[in-house]
Formats: sequence, structure tokens, C-alpha cells
Amino acid sequence: MADAVLAPQRTVRAAPDRHRRGAARWLVLAAVALVAVLTLVPFAIMVLNAFKSPSDYSNGGPLSWPSGLYTDGLVNYWRTSQYPLKLWNSVVISGSVAVAAVVVSLLNAYAIGIGRVRGRMSIVALFLLANMLPQETIVYPLYYAAKQLGLYNTRLSVIIIFTVVQSAFGTYLLASVLGTFPKALLEAAALDGAGHWKILWRIVFPNVRPTLSVLLIFFFVWTWNEFFIPLVMLVDNSTQTVPLALAALQGDRLMDAPTTNAGALVSLLPAVAFFLVFQRTLTRGVTAGAVK
Amino acid sequence: MSARRRSTTGRLATMALVAAVATGLAACGGGSSAGGGASEASGAKVLKLWHYEGETSAMGVAWDKAIEIFKTEHPGVEVQFERKAFEQIQQNASMILNSDAGPDILEYNKGNGTAGLLASQGLLTDITPEATKRGWDKKVTGALATTAVYSDKGVMGTGKWFGVPNYGEYVTVYYNADMFTKYGLTVPTTLDDLTKVMDAFTAKGVTPLAMSGAEYPGTQLYYELALSKADRSWVDAYQLYKGTVDFKGGPVQYGVDTFDQWVKKGYVSKESASLKAEDMGTAWIAGKYPMLVSGTWWYGRIAAEAKFDWDTFLFPGNTLAPGSSGNLWVVPTNSKAKDLAYDFIDITMRPEIQTLIGNSGGIPIAADPSTITDAKNKKIIENFNGLLKSDGLAFYPDWPVPGYYDVVVSAMQGLINQSKTPAQVQDALEGPYTAGVKEVTGG
Repeated sequence: MADAVLAPQRTVRAAPDRHRRGAARWLVLAAVALVAVLTLVPFAIMVLNAFKSPSDYSNGGPLSWPSGLYTDGLVNYWRTSQYPLKLWNSVVISGSVAVAAVVVSLLNAYAIGIGRVRGRMSIVALFLLANMLPQETIVYPLYYAAKQLGLYNTRLSVIIIFTVVQSAFGTYLLASVLGTFPKALLEAAALDGAGHWKILWRIVFPNVRPTLSVLLIFFFVWTWNEFFIPLVMLVDNSTQTVPLALAALQGDRLMDAPTTNAGALVSLLPAVAFFLVFQRTLTRGVTAGAVK
Repeated sequence: MSARRRSTTGRLATMALVAAVATGLAACGGGSSAGGGASEASGAKVLKLWHYEGETSAMGVAWDKAIEIFKTEHPGVEVQFERKAFEQIQQNASMILNSDAGPDILEYNKGNGTAGLLASQGLLTDITPEATKRGWDKKVTGALATTAVYSDKGVMGTGKWFGVPNYGEYVTVYYNADMFTKYGLTVPTTLDDLTKVMDAFTAKGVTPLAMSGAEYPGTQLYYELALSKADRSWVDAYQLYKGTVDFKGGPVQYGVDTFDQWVKKGYVSKESASLKAEDMGTAWIAGKYPMLVSGTWWYGRIAAEAKFDWDTFLFPGNTLAPGSSGNLWVVPTNSKAKDLAYDFIDITMRPEIQTLIGNSGGIPIAADPSTITDAKNKKIIENFNGLLKSDGLAFYPDWPVPGYYDVVVSAMQGLINQSKTPAQVQDALEGPYTAGVKEVTGG
């Protein structure tokens, strides 16, 4: 009875609410649209200048409309930077790091979050510290270690370094996620005779998969954009990544703005494509987890 | 207890696995990278050559040609050329040259903080015997040679040869002849003339000088003004520590005071305080300012992009100008093909390559101006040769001590936006200079 009485009251009270919220919703939409446009402006300027000739750029500035479609910037960048090779290097490095760092993070976090090893707090703190240190402070030790191991100027050196750096963050995040993992599930599995390995892969892994895919995407994109350590470690043009190829366009005292823009455009596309592709699986993964 | 132990062993096993994989891969990596140039210095079959000049720049064009000549003269030698990112070479040269991944010859920036530093660390080869044997020391003389020789502490000017420059650069005045004609003005020949020309422009509401306060252009204008009251002994004192520099009087005071007046008179716009050199250049190329006081490194770009009638003149009245040799060819200590590297340097000094630098819009150091075809090219080269003859290259204001660039830039920025008085600027210039000189000469 009480429910029946309350229900209409609620709707009556809710009606103007929703109306007001309706107006607010338009405002929010307008604000979001504005922010979206502001976010896109730099990209628009980049695209605009990527197709402008250097003379056009110098005479009209970055905001002018190009007098003709100029594609030499793109062609030059593609050719001089050996773009396909750089792209392959970036994919190999970022892809390996993303997968390896997720695996390492999961194993570490399993030990810390569920295995509850002794001194786990200090371990997590140590990981965090490694992640927060500015890269400039660790680059010399890394350089000497790489040289001693014969890894200097190899893609593997960068893969190992970033697997560690990224998994430090991953371990921290996953360890706290796994710290709240339902005990009942673990105990049930243990009663059924599952060992640590089996529990990890059969029980824990499927449950944290959405989190892992988010980490995978983050690790990939972060590693893709890394500049400083690759700059130090990758000496030969044949081992370098896309951001380094882009840096080669900037000279001592002069810059070539249209080519830089064209390069930025070409260099950005793979990361955007990667994000869009995984965005779909990511959403699917999250909803799948939620329904379960 | 047992659970914990087991999980620990699991972790250890994983770590061992990762380590094993890493070593395995390392073995592969090491093997492939060592294959590059293992042959002996005498019979090297590979020349690994790096530079960071753009493909279409004067040096890029000329050096491509030099590589071609080198190949025909050294059949059986493979040239592994890589165009590098300037920033990578700037930041990591000592790390790269300290490893076996470095090149056999490379372009490197001249100066105490760059080539001098590497030389003092023992990373560059002393090429004095080659320089005398092949006659480079006859072609590179005076102020050009100053940046090629370094002492044991890495201070330029005296000591051994560690590099060879192919080209030069100096600060000059580019002017928009169309705007001069429009207002009925002629090219100034004295500093007074220049002031009158600038007054005429400001009277018509035109800001006469394109400027950038956030980067080097402000510092170079100040230095031009200081040099108008300076002589060689002042330059030697300021740049090579051969004497004391008065920051409260003399050329420094004149430079700072005049710069300040020029800002107050509107010769330079206050808005330019935050502009970058690139903004300054594009604004001038777009025809917004009649004059641009900057380096010859703009020359090729202006020639390609400016759509009006223009030319250059030396800063009126000055016998000294900011300028120096260009970057150097250096041979790392770890070079595996030193003889080939010397052969290559020798090719770049030939008249053929030097003329090509000149005809591509660069400033060769050993070319005959009569072989230069373009009139404007010829003019900047003749002006440069004139400066060389009168020993007029005075280097740059930020060179004397490490980290001084930021000091001078921010001091001049303070004048452009009028947030600092000339006296404050003089103090700001003096402190870091004195401390820096003490460190360089004493340490």
C-alpha cells in the first residue's frame, strides 16, 4: 500500500525535476561539445598545416587556408624517416612491452595481493618509487648496464626497461585490486584442489581480465609515446621508434613546420587506430564482466 | 608458511625465466651489433658517417656530393650514412661515442660546451698531424680556427685540432627592399643612418625590426650593439678569458642601454618578448617587418620563401659581427676507420664541394667568390670573407660559459617587455658569467 501511495508522489515530484534536468542536459551537452571542439582544434591545425607548402606557411602563418594541396611534406617524411621501419619498431617495442608488462604485473600482484608475501607494503612502495623517479636520474645506470650486457642500441633494451617501468605501475594497481578479491572464491577453489597456478589462471585471471585489458592499452600507448629513454638507448636509425623519427625533423636553428605537422599526423594515426580498435573490445570486456 | 614459500619459489622461477630469455636475446643482439665494423683501422671497409643537416640545406646538398665523390675514389668501401636527430646528438654524444655503436666520423657542434667537452673527455681524436699534413690549417685560419682547436680542459682557441669546419655563419641584416622603396628609404651605412631609417618607419606606424625575445635573436641584437663599441681585445676577454670584462660600463653597458632605448622608441615591439625565432622569421618572410637582424642560417629559407624583393647588409658601422665557423667534422676516438674519415674531410674541403656549398645558399670557408653564380649568395659570401679578413667574427654572446644561453635570453626578454631596468640586466649578465668563468678556468 505504502508503495502505491509513494510511487505517484515520486513521479509527480520527479517530473519537473526531469524537466529541469532536461535543460541542464542541453547545457552539459553544449559544454561537452565545446570542450570536444577545443580538444580537436590542435588536431585540425595540424592537419591544416600538414598539407601546406613551407612558403605558404611562412607567408600566411599557421592559421591561414592553404593556397593549394601540398603533399610533399607527407611524402618527404615517409621517405626520409623510413617510416615503415620506424612503425614496425614502435609496434614491436610497444606491443612486447604491453603484453610482457601485463603478465609481470599480474604475477607480481598475485603474489602481493593474494599471496600476501611478507613485506608486501614495502615492495609496493618500492615499485611506486621506481615508477615515480624521473627518467633522467636512472638513465646513466641503465646506459652502463645495457652496454655491459651488450644490449645498448637494441630494441630489447627498451623492451626490458619499459616492461619493468610499466609493470611497476601495473603491480601497484593490480595488487590493490586483488587485495579485495573475494576470499570465498579462492577458498572454494582451494577446497576443490586447485593449486596456486590453477587459481591464478582459472579464477583470478578471468575476473580481472577487464582491468588487464585497460592496462594493456595504457602500457601500449604510454610506451608508444616514450621519447627520452629510446632517445638514449636506440642509436641506429634502424632501431629507432616513431617519436624519434619525428624529432629528426627539428634542426639546430631551423624547423620545417609543414613537414613536422605532416610527420606528426602520420605518427599519430597508428596510436589512434590502435585505441579505436581496442576501445571496442575494451567496452565489450567491461560489460561482459559486469553482466557476470 | 608452506603456501608463502611456494609462491616465493614461483616468483623466483618466473624471474629466472625472464632472466634466461633476456640473456638469450642479448646474445642475438650482441652478435648482430658487433658485425658493423670489426675490421682493422688500416683496411676498414666501412665508413659510418653521421650528420644532422637537412636534405635540401646547403650542407646537406654539398655533403651528399662529397659522399658520392668519396665512393668513386674508394671503391669497395661501404658508406653507411645516417641523418640523425640534432637533439639526439646534442644530448647523448658522450654516451654514444663511449660505446661501439658510434660512427667513424660525425658532424658536431663547435664550442666549449660541446666539441670542447667531448675533447676534454678523450672521446675525440686529436687530428693535428692530419690538419698540418693535409693543409687544413692553411684553409681554416683566424676566428674560424678558434673553434676547431681545444685545450686539455676543452677551452677553445688554443691547443690541438679536434675538428674541421666546412662553412661559416654570421649575423647580418636582411631587409625588405619593397618596403624601403615604398617609404623612400635607402640602405643605411652607419648606426646613425640605421636609427634614422627606423625612426622613419616608426613614424609611419611600422615596427622596423622583427624580433624574438624567447630565443637567441634578442641576444644577438644586443651583442651587435655591444660590438659596435668593442674591439678584438674585448672579444678575447669576453670569449677566451684573456682579461676582465666590465659589465658596468663599456660595450656591455652600451649594448644594454641602446637595446633598452630601441624598445622604448618602438623599434622592437614589446609583444615579441614571448615570440620564438621561428615566429620572427615567418613574420619577416610574410612582409610584416622591414628588417631582420639574424644569422645566415636563414638565408636558404628566405631565398626559397620570401615573395618580395630583398637583400642583406652588414650591421651598419660594425667591424665586428656575431658569427663563427659552422659545425665541425670530428673523428671519435672509437672510430674504426680514421684514415677513411680523414679522406672524407679532405674531400669536403675541396673547391668543388666548397663552391657547391656557396651555390646552394651556404657560406663556404674556402671558395672563390667568383665561382658563385647568384648575386645575393655572392654578397653574403663576400661580406663573410670581408669579416674573415678583418678578423671580425666575434662568436656569440652565450658562448663564454656553460648554461649562459638562458641567462642572456631572459635578460634581453626582460628588456623587451620592460620588466627590468638596464642596471638590473647588467647585474643579471655579470653574476653567472663571473661564476662560470671561475669554474671553467679554475676547475
